[in-house]
Amino acid sequence: MTRNLLTLEAARREDLREILELAHAHARGETRSPLAGKTVCLAFFEASTRTAVSFELAARRCGADVISLSESGSAIAKGESLVDTVVTLDRLGADALVLRHPAAGAAALAARYTGAAVVNAGDGCGQHPTQALLDLYALSEAAGGFDELAGRRVAVVGDVLHSRVARSVIPAFTAAGMEVALVAPATLLPWDSGAWGLPILDSVGEALLWGAGVLYVLRLQKERMTGARIPSLAEYARFYGVARRHLGDGVLVMHPGPVNRGVEISGDVVLDGHSLIPDQVAAGVHVRSAVLALATGAAHEVAA
Amino acid sequence: LSGYNRTLTELVIRRAHVLDPSTGLDGIADVRLREGRVAEIGEGLRGTRELDADGLHLFPGFVDLHAHWRTPGREDEESVESGSGAAAAGGFTGVVMMPNTYPVVDKPAIVGGLVARIEKESRVRAYVSAALHAGLRGERLTEMRLLKEAGAFCVSDDGLGTPSAGVLRNGMLYARSAGLPVILHCEDHTLATGVVHDGAYAALAGIPGSPASAEDAATATAVVLAAETGARVHITHVSTALSAALVGFFKGRSQVTADTTPHHLTLTDGLIAGLDGMYRVNPPLRPEQDRDGVTEALRDGVLDFVATDHAPHASEEKELPFEEAAPGFLGHETAFPALYTELVLDGRISLPRLVEAMSCSPGRWVGQGGALSVGGMADLALVDLSEEWMVSRETLLSRSSNSPYLGRGLTGRVVGTIVGAELVHDRIGAKFGVRA
Repeated sequence: MTRNLLTLEAARREDLREILELAHAHARGETRSPLAGKTVCLAFFEASTRTAVSFELAARRCGADVISLSESGSAIAKGESLVDTVVTLDRLGADALVLRHPAAGAAALAARYTGAAVVNAGDGCGQHPTQALLDLYALSEAAGGFDELAGRRVAVVGDVLHSRVARSVIPAFTAAGMEVALVAPATLLPWDSGAWGLPILDSVGEALLWGAGVLYVLRLQKERMTGARIPSLAEYARFYGVARRHLGDGVLVMHPGPVNRGVEISGDVVLDGHSLIPDQVAAGVHVRSAVLALATGAAHEVAA
Repeated sequence: LSGYNRTLTELVIRRAHVLDPSTGLDGIADVRLREGRVAEIGEGLRGTRELDADGLHLFPGFVDLHAHWRTPGREDEESVESGSGAAAAGGFTGVVMMPNTYPVVDKPAIVGGLVARIEKESRVRAYVSAALHAGLRGERLTEMRLLKEAGAFCVSDDGLGTPSAGVLRNGMLYARSAGLPVILHCEDHTLATGVVHDGAYAALAGIPGSPASAEDAATATAVVLAAETGARVHITHVSTALSAALVGFFKGRSQVTADTTPHHLTLTDGLIAGLDGMYRVNPPLRPEQDRDGVTEALRDGVLDFVATDHAPHASEEKELPFEEAAPGFLGHETAFPALYTELVLDGRISLPRLVEAMSCSPGRWVGQGGALSVGGMADLALVDLSEEWMVSRETLLSRSSNSPYLGRGLTGRVVGTIVGAELVHDRIGAKFGVRA
């Protein structure tokens, strides 16, 4: 039985736990080629380095046959529609389709046209569920277990408006029992910023006063760095950037990458002991292996 | 301007419940149609051709001020023939065609060609809206007086807002001189940078939103200029409570009129949560409180009437990620049933007000039809208010199938449409066949 992973909007605690436990099994090397004989298609309609590489490694380590389509040099570049590409991959026998696309809802649309499991690898400003899952994995490790996350406070800092990562980590952290606050100027928040029912704070300093134990920092897109949405990088860094002075008392810093050093995080924080950024990257392969195994039904075949 | 020109016959419609708020008719009566007009309304009328309408309602035909029949240029999506067929199936006897076609209807020769096609192909009375500005670009005025000579009925840059208030003001002044009404799509494109209403659903889905101010600011500009210039301005597809209130403020201070659409009266932005490109439309579906505000404005006459913004799209333009999908819904065939089901049966507005808003009021605006009176045009809609039906691709006569009501059950259905005393849409036989 296949299972799509399109969004974490309605994620339940038990679903998250299942994925993280399986990811741990992959990390410990307890799974042996669960995807042998399966075909995993990576269709990236938008440039990506770490997500694409991480999914490809995950699929190969699980023993899958991997087909990669990228923006350049494929039918995608020739203007084939998303639906037609999906139908083609479906008929070629894909068991899982890992999709990255610049428009929200692309993965949901693809899922209507294929029986293969669709894994959303990021769609526009919509969702990036595997990012949030690997974040939970890295954070659980640091906290001493998934159950240790409940009750902790996390501040999501930065461009929430344009962030698919934010739209996945907010419900994921919430489902894990954490309390979440948003830290951003109104120009980088959705107009209806109350949609999630979360507190809105005005600086990293305020987030720490609120009791944030985790600062989850979002990437500031270059095209939005200056101009109509924020006045200057200096002002942004002053109020919304994480600096060494914020790292008291076991505060953890996370970032989905790639980092703009000196903008949303000062350079000396990125690889500091408080930073989980390298752990997040390391978690990617394990979590994506688990996601692919669950999505294709291979995890249950192994279990049975 | 009518495409309708058929042999003249006599027909007696017997025992229908005749309802026309503009003339006060509301009861069972017989209606005799002759030579394209209503000849007699009374009891016990007999004729050589009779139509037994016992159990049905007879309204003045609906008039739709806003339709995209995609002609010229995208006849794969809709043609004059299919668009007018869909209109007739929805009880519409008069329709205004919008000019955002390929090419844009901005030259007298294009208007002339369209008028000729209407004469040949249209089942209903169709009126041509020419562009207000060349290429709909909001820069250079079209040759409005020549367009009018060629048969244009009004002017509009529908599909786009006018980028400059100064340009819009001149457009209104010149249209007033040319004697042409102006239909305005109010949208400030510096604010309308998204594809859905900027609310909670946009925030959660991550689909770029446009704030309500994109419509409200443009509507405010338009009504202020309408009052100042004295032009005959009609604001189309009002979708927010604030825009409706702005129109209300300028009622009596200007000649401004306004409409809203069946979808803004019946659907809300919660539908975008499923991320289905089908539900992209412009102006976007709004939250419940706007739907309520617009509905009250229609009920109270602040908004004069309903127009469908019938906007057919090929499936490949809708089966796309939400923000890439083409905006627009089919409207003709579901307008009355959707509004009857959601507004009348729900107690939000009365049946007479709905008939006034779909027939009488837009008919007055067009200056033709919209009334059921002796000597008047025999443009009528025969409706079964009890029929329950499911909207599906198979039930639609349009060449496209992008209806937001697909799969929904609706109550009330048009069973016959009469233009100039002639049946142009006829499901009566089928219906009575089922009954027998």
